[in-house]
Amino acid sequence: MIARRLLLALCAAAPLLLPALAGAAENGASAEKGTPARPYRIYMVLYRGWEECAKGFKDYFTNQNIPVELIIRDAAQDKSRIPGFVAEAKELGVDLVFTWGTTVTQEMLGTYDKVDPEKHITDIPAVFAIVSQPVGAKVVPDFKSSGRNITGTSYLVPMETQVNLMRSYLPARRLGMVYNPLEANSRVAIDELTQLGRRLGYDLVAKAVDLVDGKPSVASIPGKVAELKDAGVEFLYIPPDTFLNVNRDVLTGAALEFQLPSFAAAENPVLNSRAMIGGVYRYYTVGQLTAYKAEQILVHKVAPKDIPIDAPKRLSIIINMPVVRALGVYPPMNLLGLAEVHDPEAGP
Amino acid sequence: MRLDSSRSLLVRLFILAVLVLVPPTAIVSYRALGAFEQGMAPEMDKKAAIVGQDLRTQLERAVGYGVPLERMVGMTEFFAPVLAANPELRYLAVSDPDGRLLYLHGAETAELQADFRTAGFGTGRDGHKISVGPYFDVALPVQAKGGAVIGHLHVGFDRAYVTDRLANIFLDVAVVLSVSLIVAFEVLLFVVFFNITGPLKVAGWVVDRVRRGDFEHVPSVWSGDEVGHFVRAMSNSVRRTDEAYRGLMAYIEEVRTAHFDAGVVARVAEVADRVRFLFRFSPDGRPAPLGQRMATDIRLPLFLFVFAEEMSRSFMPLYAGGLATPLPGLSVEMMTALPIAFFMAAIALASPWAARVTERVGSSRAFVMGMVPAALGYVMTGFVFGLFDLLLWRVVSGVGYALVTVAAQTYISQAAREEQRAQGLGVYVGAVLTASICGTGIGGLLAERIGFGATFFVSGALVVLSGVLLARIMAESEPPAVVAVAARPKFRRLLANWRFTVLMLFAAVPAKMALTGFLFFLVPMILWQSSLTLSEIARMVVLYPLVMAVTSAIASRLSDRFQWRAGLVALGGLIGGIGLLAPVVLDGTLPIAIAIIALGLSHGLSASPQLALIPDVCWTECRAFGRVSIMALVRTIERAGSVAGPLIAAAFIPMWGLNGAVIGLGVLVLALAAFFAIASGAYGSGPHIETEEETA
Repeated sequence: MIARRLLLALCAAAPLLLPALAGAAENGASAEKGTPARPYRIYMVLYRGWEECAKGFKDYFTNQNIPVELIIRDAAQDKSRIPGFVAEAKELGVDLVFTWGTTVTQEMLGTYDKVDPEKHITDIPAVFAIVSQPVGAKVVPDFKSSGRNITGTSYLVPMETQVNLMRSYLPARRLGMVYNPLEANSRVAIDELTQLGRRLGYDLVAKAVDLVDGKPSVASIPGKVAELKDAGVEFLYIPPDTFLNVNRDVLTGAALEFQLPSFAAAENPVLNSRAMIGGVYRYYTVGQLTAYKAEQILVHKVAPKDIPIDAPKRLSIIINMPVVRALGVYPPMNLLGLAEVHDPEAGP
Repeated sequence: MRLDSSRSLLVRLFILAVLVLVPPTAIVSYRALGAFEQGMAPEMDKKAAIVGQDLRTQLERAVGYGVPLERMVGMTEFFAPVLAANPELRYLAVSDPDGRLLYLHGAETAELQADFRTAGFGTGRDGHKISVGPYFDVALPVQAKGGAVIGHLHVGFDRAYVTDRLANIFLDVAVVLSVSLIVAFEVLLFVVFFNITGPLKVAGWVVDRVRRGDFEHVPSVWSGDEVGHFVRAMSNSVRRTDEAYRGLMAYIEEVRTAHFDAGVVARVAEVADRVRFLFRFSPDGRPAPLGQRMATDIRLPLFLFVFAEEMSRSFMPLYAGGLATPLPGLSVEMMTALPIAFFMAAIALASPWAARVTERVGSSRAFVMGMVPAALGYVMTGFVFGLFDLLLWRVVSGVGYALVTVAAQTYISQAAREEQRAQGLGVYVGAVLTASICGTGIGGLLAERIGFGATFFVSGALVVLSGVLLARIMAESEPPAVVAVAARPKFRRLLANWRFTVLMLFAAVPAKMALTGFLFFLVPMILWQSSLTLSEIARMVVLYPLVMAVTSAIASRLSDRFQWRAGLVALGGLIGGIGLLAPVVLDGTLPIAIAIIALGLSHGLSASPQLALIPDVCWTECRAFGRVSIMALVRTIERAGSVAGPLIAAAFIPMWGLNGAVIGLGVLVLALAAFFAIASGAYGSGPHIETEEETA
């Protein structure tokens, strides 16, 4: 009697036990690595294709020997594709969602005051990256905790650090900025720079690009830079603005033409265009930090709301040497010692 | 230090000690310095190479990126931290191929330019070395990418640096040498006094008594050496004489009781009476051992003990400052001052208790008892983690210090009854002053080499050594404690004596305030900020006891000869106060040295006249309460000044900075001294008896 009962109990428990046992066996096999054999499935939604941040995210798992299966989707700057990705992620039942950029993050995860379980990912944990204003964009209420099933990283260097870096290169008394009046990020940057200027002793001249048919006009950029130069601006600040990022060559080219040193808050204008210096967290590093947070959720089972949103610790100072030479404004020796020098002409 | 009849012997011994100790040490030190000097030059070249190559690599990197050598930016900020990290480097410079200076930090262009233009550094090897004015210049070529030399990086050394280093080491050696001489001499004094002159002096007393027919005493000496044999032989003679006397008396008694002839009996009785009249013998047939309790006996233990305390003199505020963490309502400066103030307060508060303990257990035992908290305090001070445990252990040490000093003074004053008082006091002051000189000098030197903690352990070890020595002496003789229980002086009655009050508040207290506030507290911090090394600080602080020792010898003679006491006290106070104002007109460490010397001069002039003045100004009180208890009270009042000194100085620092605090303290001390100078004019001279009339 007793034996039969025990057998029944075991059979009843079997469906529960079996995966656990299987898991244990597999874990035993790969015990050295301390990882489960079944890879974690991560659904990655990008906005501008595969780039450094996504690469850093992927490489982190490779370097840490954490098996992952990445399902990669690119919105290709088209917002309308995103609802389809939400549905697909839910259908696949992935372990984690990765979102790139403010638009993708807002569309996939909703804002904290407007989450719709129908339209947004809610049950699957998510990490976001490359959101310039996580609080301003209402992705999270504050950096300590999202209060929901997501966490992520910020990638913007604090404005004061940027200004100090800029002015350690050149003690400018007047900074200039060309911005897209339609981009909220730019206005935030203007406010911050103006306030800091009162404390640090400089002033800011900001020029909005012209709007043609409600769209910012690329052709008006060089003129705005010339106006800044005429206003006695000594250093051009390039905010992390999508429109300016897209048209970075026009902007930095104009700066060079008018002999205006330029500082970029993002790495693209320095590495892939002609901004003179940048103080940034490298996208690759940001990707790695985001992957670290994903590891906390997947491997260490930390609830996403318990993981604060923060930025990498190490600031990258990138100096674009061809531009420096063209301008003849040389960096102080100590800054040069700290900086990564980007000098494609010099060769390896 | 009075050497009385043994003076010539001791002088000869001292000369012998100097001859034996100094030449070999001097020769060895001289050789070592030579080797050191030879080793310095290549060491400097190596340093130039390491520093220079690193800087050159960065310059060449910039040049490689297309920054023209003559258009480098931020070179001052680039050079400054390197110079700050390498004190032996004087300047860093870059010159173009013609020797024109492009950048220079740490020297004046005019000093170098002319020599650089003519030097022709060429294109060749590293480390082209030239002498430029007061510098050595090592040049390293800077190359462009193609290998062309486009300029030179220059690393400049101060030529005086080597000489400075050597002078520093030489001075350290001199301090060690002088201190070992003094210690050797103290040990010699101890050995001579304890083993030779002491027993012989006792033997002399016994012989003197015997000459006068007094056979009641034998010298009490147990040592096994020749002196011991001699003294024992003498004791045996005395005992034999005593036995012969008893034999004679027994015989006389026999004759007196048994003889038939009354005339003979009368004659014999007469003989007995005559013998009894001429000679005195111990009534119980045992000649009493005559102790050899002399003030000089405890000189060495006292010396070692004070030595231990003085070791931390020049760095205590630095040690405390390193432990102080800001607390609300308590500045770091104030916390740094607390260990000194607590130590002084512990001595002041524990002294009356120490006097009672000494009365109860005897001075030698009290001395040894004091060693226990003192040694424990020092060792634990070396282990402390924070300011509060430091305070605790300083208080423990202070209690030990109080017990030891009170016991030592009591011991000396008891022993001095048999000798001269002045000599006894001289022993105390001499031991404390020499220990202060030696301890301070060695303490800083040691702390620099083995660290603060380890130096405190050495202090602890010295106290233990002193205790062992003392325990040995105690085994020899411990006469019963006979301290007259002094009447407690009535504060109010004493303070009603305005001369006494003025002397205390306007001379004694400011003197101690200047000592603890300035010398003990501010001086180490100021000199440390001026980036002097610990041994340099100690050498500065040691100026005080040195000057004081010399001055006080002269001052006490002056005061005795001319009865000029109040005047000297006033003069001393003014000199000390004015000295503290030296930072008003001068910068750097020189005014501090001047102030220290002035303070030594001040206290040297005023210390002994001030002591001598007390029986003068409170003659009736001394008679009523006893000099000893009046002196104890004087010390307690003085200690209040010692406690206040560092606290006042610490309160000044946040307002006026370190040098400002010195000046503030100087103004305070000078004002008080000036008041005393004016008031002392009304002292008159000689003993004052009007107070007696008032109270009568």
